[in-house]
Amino acid sequence: MIAFVFILIGVTLIVIQTSVLMINPVWVAAPDLYYILVAYLAYRFDLLRSLIILFPLSWIMDVFSGVIIGTYPAICFGSFILLKVLDVKIPVRESLYQVPLMGISYLVVYRVVYTFFSFFDPDSIAPWSWPEMFVKVFLLVLCAFPLFRFFEYIHLRMQKKFVPFKMLRVRSGNRFRTEDGEQ
Amino acid sequence: MRKRGTSKRSSRFRAFRLVLLSGILLTLALIFLVSTLGSQKFSTLHKLILEATGPVQKVVTRTTGYLGIFTGKYSDLVNVREENKRLWNELLECRAAAYRNREALATNTRLQKLLDFRESFDHPMLAARIVGKDPSLWFRTVVIDRGSNDGLIKGMPAVNGEGIVGQVFAVSPNYSKVLLAIAPSSALDVLLQKSRVRGILRGTGSLTYKLDYVLKTVDVQEGDHVVTAGYGGLFPTGMPVGVVSKVVRKRRGMFLDIEVKPAVDFLTLENLLIIEQEKPFVR
Repeated sequence: MIAFVFILIGVTLIVIQTSVLMINPVWVAAPDLYYILVAYLAYRFDLLRSLIILFPLSWIMDVFSGVIIGTYPAICFGSFILLKVLDVKIPVRESLYQVPLMGISYLVVYRVVYTFFSFFDPDSIAPWSWPEMFVKVFLLVLCAFPLFRFFEYIHLRMQKKFVPFKMLRVRSGNRFRTEDGEQ
Repeated sequence: MRKRGTSKRSSRFRAFRLVLLSGILLTLALIFLVSTLGSQKFSTLHKLILEATGPVQKVVTRTTGYLGIFTGKYSDLVNVREENKRLWNELLECRAAAYRNREALATNTRLQKLLDFRESFDHPMLAARIVGKDPSLWFRTVVIDRGSNDGLIKGMPAVNGEGIVGQVFAVSPNYSKVLLAIAPSSALDVLLQKSRVRGILRGTGSLTYKLDYVLKTVDVQEGDHVVTAGYGGLFPTGMPVGVVSKVVRKRRGMFLDIEVKPAVDFLTLENLLIIEQEKPFVR
């Protein structure tokens, strides 16, 4: 259920990103909201649930954006793995590095994917632009704080909703045995 | 004895006062009768009365006037908040109406342009609306609200009233993805309208095209119009593509570096026309 809710959130974010935030086809100042969800999944979700969410999310991005099928799965899974590994390895309190790390990973993963494309299909992509990428990273970091809080809120609410079976068991009001052994 | 003398005096005074008052009353009655039944003229007494009461009247009238103004202002002040709120609401409604009208006018102009364009060409065309835009920095595509159910096939050209926009890249039953002509992976066969020299127009990812394979021997000037060549039957011949904005002659190489400004304003792109073809050429 949590995975389904987060898939819905992801779809909503992608739709907002590709319709409302894109003022014109060459608009730069539209934050990659889907990437914030990818980072959140890496920080908070287990591998199985994350993959269940990431697959549809990356496919939807592939449909809405780009001309090379597989670009967004590569970006999503690459980023997820990178952030997951770093999250486990870095010995610093998580709140200090989560958002900056997400920004850096965005730059790194995009640069790696761009380098790959520039080797194999250089004519299909626009030239790399550092200023535009920095604008994207800045917007990503800016949007990450409220979105992380929102994801956290939804996550906690969903977790509270599904309480363990023991807590749901119906009990009688009498907690003590009577003298003749009846409860 | 003393008491008796005092009461005698007071009764006398009372009688005198009575006579005096009666006299005054009679005089007044007489004046009234004379003035009413007589010449009907304003007598001296009337004038005196008027002179005496006039200032009082004046003061009272002024005071009540001031009071009226004051109460009016006070009630205005009390009502001004509500009035202000009402006027603001009215202003907002008027602004919204003006905005709607402007929007309707702009839409009308845009659609009229599309319609004129559609009527000026023989090819059957299908109107489509852009519903989504590619958010990446590397690719330039848009999603439109027409698909294979409307007869769209991969490779069909997309145009608008200003010129070439791109071509259908992927199709689903109700939606399609259009590769914009400014996308780096887009390449169009074009002609320089004046010299009829052929070249390949490529997208750069930004709001310019690059015109490749035009020899240095060709006379190309800034402002020359670039149109579709029509080879391969994908795009109709002579459709506007852009205007040459920069020509660079490098010392090395055979070809010119030509920059072309798109005829289409990609920043305000909202509606498209898809040129319907039987079997478009697909790369």
